[in-house]
Amino acid sequence: MLRLVSTASRPSSAGRLGKTAVPPKGRRAFASTSAKHADISLTVDGKEVTVPQGSALIQACEAAGATIPRFCYHDRLAIAGNCRMCLVEVERSPKPVASCAMPAMPGSKVWTNTPLVHEAREGVMEFLLANHPLDCPICDQGGECDLQDQSMRYGSDRSRFHEITGKRAVEDKNLGPLVKTSMNRCIQCTRCVRFANEVAGVEDLGTTGRGNDMQIGMYVEKTMNSELSGNVVDLCPVGALTSKPYAFHARPWELKNTESIDVTDAVGSNIRVDSRGVRVMRVQPRTNDDVNEEWISDKARYAYDGLTFQRLTAPLIKQGDRFVAATWEEALSAIADGLAKTGAQGDEIQAIAGHLADTESLVALKDLINCLGSDNLATDQLGGTAPPVHGVDVRSNYLFNPTIPGIEQADAILLVGTNPRHEAAVLNSRIRKSWLHTTLEVGFIGERVDTAYGYDYLGQDIKAVQEFVAGKGEFAAKFKAAKKPLIIIGSAISEHPDGASVYNQLASYVQTHKNKLLTPEWNGFSVLQRAASRSAAYDIGFVSSAKAAKTTPKFIYLLNADEVDPKSISKDAFVVYQGHHGDLGAQLADVCLPGAAYTEKSTTWVNTEGRAQLGSAAVPPPGASRDDWKIIRALSEVLNVQLPYEDVLALRDRMWEISPTLVRYDAVESTSPDVALAGLKVLVESTKKAAFKGLPFEKPIKNFYMTDPISRASVTMAQCTRAFTGDQESGISDEKGLQAAFA
Amino acid sequence: MSLLNAWKQAALTSRSTGLKHLITSTRLVSSESSSTPANKKSGEIVTPEAPRDVLVADVISGAPTELRHRPVRIYQPTRNTMQSGSGKSERWRIDFDILPGGGRWENPLMGWASSADYMQGTRLSFRSKEDAVHFAEKQGWDYYIQQTTVKRIPPKNYAENFLYRPSKLRILRTK
Repeated sequence: MLRLVSTASRPSSAGRLGKTAVPPKGRRAFASTSAKHADISLTVDGKEVTVPQGSALIQACEAAGATIPRFCYHDRLAIAGNCRMCLVEVERSPKPVASCAMPAMPGSKVWTNTPLVHEAREGVMEFLLANHPLDCPICDQGGECDLQDQSMRYGSDRSRFHEITGKRAVEDKNLGPLVKTSMNRCIQCTRCVRFANEVAGVEDLGTTGRGNDMQIGMYVEKTMNSELSGNVVDLCPVGALTSKPYAFHARPWELKNTESIDVTDAVGSNIRVDSRGVRVMRVQPRTNDDVNEEWISDKARYAYDGLTFQRLTAPLIKQGDRFVAATWEEALSAIADGLAKTGAQGDEIQAIAGHLADTESLVALKDLINCLGSDNLATDQLGGTAPPVHGVDVRSNYLFNPTIPGIEQADAILLVGTNPRHEAAVLNSRIRKSWLHTTLEVGFIGERVDTAYGYDYLGQDIKAVQEFVAGKGEFAAKFKAAKKPLIIIGSAISEHPDGASVYNQLASYVQTHKNKLLTPEWNGFSVLQRAASRSAAYDIGFVSSAKAAKTTPKFIYLLNADEVDPKSISKDAFVVYQGHHGDLGAQLADVCLPGAAYTEKSTTWVNTEGRAQLGSAAVPPPGASRDDWKIIRALSEVLNVQLPYEDVLALRDRMWEISPTLVRYDAVESTSPDVALAGLKVLVESTKKAAFKGLPFEKPIKNFYMTDPISRASVTMAQCTRAFTGDQESGISDEKGLQAAFA
Repeated sequence: MSLLNAWKQAALTSRSTGLKHLITSTRLVSSESSSTPANKKSGEIVTPEAPRDVLVADVISGAPTELRHRPVRIYQPTRNTMQSGSGKSERWRIDFDILPGGGRWENPLMGWASSADYMQGTRLSFRSKEDAVHFAEKQGWDYYIQQTTVKRIPPKNYAENFLYRPSKLRILRTK
């Protein structure tokens, strides 16, 4: 019986991801979602429920609204079936069955709340508790522990455990500076092992021994070197794996939860900021299947302690070679005086938008600079002062068009000059997921990196791109045969001297293969941004005109810009820095204006797909710092070019005027194939004469743990740098770090 | 009634111009004032105007007017990723944005968290989105509705662990 059912369910399990319907010839399917499998009906607690064929019984029970206790089963991991907590009673079954490991069968009758079920679960719980230490009062999981919760219902009030040797003792493992282990508490659910194997792609964690002697560990002394390692803390149903930076800092019931958006990369992961008083105590992921599923990167999770160090808390004016704290009034009038003194006119007034600038302030700053008669708007990247090679007129030229969940439909991916593992860690786990469960082929051009999935290495420079476009090589053939091919161009390519040429090659490739790469269902041309503000900056047209780019600026406004090359700023220029950290940008400034960090303002963030999401403020900004757009609005009054919005709603009206996508929250507006093709045409035309030097593509992120002022100020990230990148200088690795150290 | 109308008028005129509708036009608040004819003859019978859909509560509740300048967020909290239980995630919540500036501080003597924000401890939960929206409208608050994300969990199967794949093995299971 069991065998019959598992065979029946095989077709659906053969490729649960990306298995698409094959449309009948001559007719195109309207949507490209996966095929709907046949549904089956069964009865759970007397309630009829219909689920897709191939579902586990636990999913059917959940669909019927029954709560099934579980430890090992997790929605986003493979099924292990080893905790036995999810036992239910099935009609004509001699014993209770583990509902996670049992396929839902049509017509079966299931009970989840009978005395038999209770007794069985109580038995399981008793065995789990036999070896679980009674240290809930000092355990960090206390208050949000699955074992604690479920023992309230299924635990016995006294123990029958009287071993003279006491409870099982297991040595603690060292998994690095992020994950604290207390292996006595482990109940061997193996969620962490499955996560490391399937999602993170570090096949280091495993189990040794069996029965009562089973242990989770690395077998050898080793840290868990993954940029997603913090997620095992969430997954652990007990307190065996807890967060090291958060250890003994707060209890879950003391925290205020604020649902917000992460800015450490351009994925726009949904996060929940847990704060107490004026401090952010921890950052947790928020489930959103369209963006980050249930994971966030370690930088998103643990860089929050950087929010308390090196903050700008008062406006600063440079006098001689040191900064003097000032009032807002003084600082703003100092800027007005500075602007007048430099005599900057027209395009000599420049604004540079950094990685962490929010959309509201970008819009306000662009309006301000334009009101001052300048068109000199730059983004904070290499060559950011010039107009970007891909242009900003058509959105699909610089966005991640297939959307993040769309990655799972791709059957061939070409990565050009990008290491998604470090530039968009959560997105990378999607590629890995697809690579594991489908026949996805990945090609890679650029500096060799460990991506957590296998790839065909094509080369490191433009030559490889040219060969690929010419159809030479094995991977080019595979790519051509693919049904939904996907080209992912890294954001570093547009900063590269050969960038224009690469874009030209790939855009014309897409044009010639548009029947597969650009259909109404599929846009296989995508750019992976790595800075949280970049898509928004391009969306609002925060780029300079060709004429303005040639002007030497005399007045420079740095909005969260901390990657600027100090040499690019001329000595006599007047520099204003607006931001939240005393990092590189602040050192270059004549006046510093303290802004709010991402946990302190409710602003819009546009991720690499072009999805606008609204963050929210969890804690107030420290000291005299203010919301960024309000600072710019105040400055506009001092400069006698008053901006026409008085509150954030009016500013969002203005954003709507610029681009409605900026305020259509949580939705992705896809570009139609015709417009996308027109965009590519413009792109090919504009880069036709581009020359190339043949320099290798380098990875833009050398140290994943320190990419922005917040993570550079974070102690935890410095520890990670030391532990995982082998940098003994605790993160102060390059010139920039040294400069930042004194500020 | 007339007293109430006068109050309403006063409240509506004193209201800042900032209450523009949100872009998603979720803000369909009750600010439509039906003009009361002021110059009526004393003997004339005043027909009571049809009641508006929503009477802004703070017209008579005495809630501080500053409250109306603080947008609220209506959303369904997501499941805590630390726990497998999904309790409390089906209700809708109204959250206030925090007070900017000095709304919160650490008490210098004890290090306790102090606040000047009288809404910081308020947690409003509702059975449905409509209830929450109705309440926010009744209070005259600007609101933003955060859409609930759709959960997409594919059918899962224990047999997948042992599935034969003709291609090269891509995962080494260490469990």
